[in-house]
Amino acid sequence: MTRITHEEAFSELSAVALETVSADIASAVRAHAAVCPECGPELAAMEQTVAILGELVPPGQINRGRSAGVRSRLLMRARAERESRSAPVPGPPDIARGVASLTGQGQRVTPGAQRVVTGESKRVTTPPTWDVVPVRRGMNWYAIAATVALVITGAQLLRVTSDRDRMRSEIVPVDTTKSPVDSLTLALSQKDSMIAAMTGPDVKVVPLTNQSARQPLGRMMWNRSSNDWIMVTYNLRQPKPGMTYQVWLVTDDAKISAGTFRPDAEGKTFMHAKYPMDRNALRAVAITEEPEGGVPAPTGPMVVAGSA
Amino acid sequence: MNPSERAQSYSGENGSNADDVALMRRIVEADETALGALYDRWVRSLYSLVLHLLKDPDEAEDVVEETFWQAWRKADSYEPSKGAVSTWLLTIGRRKALDRLRSRKRSKEDAISDDRTFADLPSNAPDPAVDAEGAELREHVRAALNELPDEQREVLELGYFSGLSQSEIADATGQPLGTVKTRMRLAMQKLREPLSMHRGMTE
Repeated sequence: MTRITHEEAFSELSAVALETVSADIASAVRAHAAVCPECGPELAAMEQTVAILGELVPPGQINRGRSAGVRSRLLMRARAERESRSAPVPGPPDIARGVASLTGQGQRVTPGAQRVVTGESKRVTTPPTWDVVPVRRGMNWYAIAATVALVITGAQLLRVTSDRDRMRSEIVPVDTTKSPVDSLTLALSQKDSMIAAMTGPDVKVVPLTNQSARQPLGRMMWNRSSNDWIMVTYNLRQPKPGMTYQVWLVTDDAKISAGTFRPDAEGKTFMHAKYPMDRNALRAVAITEEPEGGVPAPTGPMVVAGSA
Repeated sequence: MNPSERAQSYSGENGSNADDVALMRRIVEADETALGALYDRWVRSLYSLVLHLLKDPDEAEDVVEETFWQAWRKADSYEPSKGAVSTWLLTIGRRKALDRLRSRKRSKEDAISDDRTFADLPSNAPDPAVDAEGAELREHVRAALNELPDEQREVLELGYFSGLSQSEIADATGQPLGTVKTRMRLAMQKLREPLSMHRGMTE
């Protein structure tokens, strides 16, 4: 820490109170003030003065609709965070690695991202098992969600495995035609990757819900070792005409657009992406309704969200 | 109404600080409805300050959200003895707004030319009836600011609204660093007494 004399500390008190000095100097001044009978009270008084200056600004008008959107997002984040407080503490972190890519079910893909799998939602035809898991009032929601996550993962795994086996059988009779074989082999490889992504030991599951839903409307599964992201949604209404859904990965510093999508007629979506992120960085996953083509920062109402 | 009477009756934008403290206790216990109530009470004040700093409604909205989110996540760090809940919220919001201002990497000339001054603030809320007591307080503080010599008020404004360091203020205004430091300290000391009454009002 920077060493500082009494005179130096005293001359910086107002700047520290205004928070206009470097963290290094602020720390040194605060350390001095903590034991200095002159600087301590002076700094406290100055900080009070600065704090009160903020109240000079009279309350203004904030757009009612946008304010309602902010409020809604906040409450959803808070609710999801509250429910996850009783969740098990994740294991020791490491840094995720990989190549950024993200898909959005044949819709717009975030600029710079690379499509890996598309059109998956059309393959989701079996109603998810977790739809029938009851959510009783007063129960630990997170515990239920964790159980449900296992069920849904199992359901998806069953479907993916079944698709893979079907593809294996289809490869044999067509192996004289190179192009279809290549295509099926590629699809098989993708399915294998997906199974690995959803069943790895380091998969974090983020339930996606909203205030009116009694059970999750979707889930983001994040394999923090392989950087695979798989998002499924269920019973998601269609976005309004001219609008689309946009996925956001929320960190302390940013809301990262993870692409746009539109659920199928049954409200189902299946998205797969590869995207590197520090395993401690994710705070929440959110889906907002935005103008077609997506936006650089969320502007529309939040449809579902979940705390990481 | 004298300051002592105001201290007993001041109720902020919408309700008393005691109500806010009660909400903070519920937020600590993870009651998100209390967060919603706190938001309803203070969003307009916070948004106004942040918008005044950033001059960008979208960014201001983001900062408002992140401020209340921090209030939710760090509610247990609020200490009633150090000031009103509203003051705490506004301090968090200003800090976040200044971080954004700094990240824009504005030139010092830009910062100086911005109209972020105390005098530039509107004196009343759009609906004075909603905020009559707050308006009275603001007039009280504004009067104290007006008593400051122009050069002291200027350095305070540059520090408060633009987040400029004392060295940057010295560069931008052409004043010696020592002069800037002295003016800022004197400005703070002169404001202390009139503004300290506000602390009593909200406790």
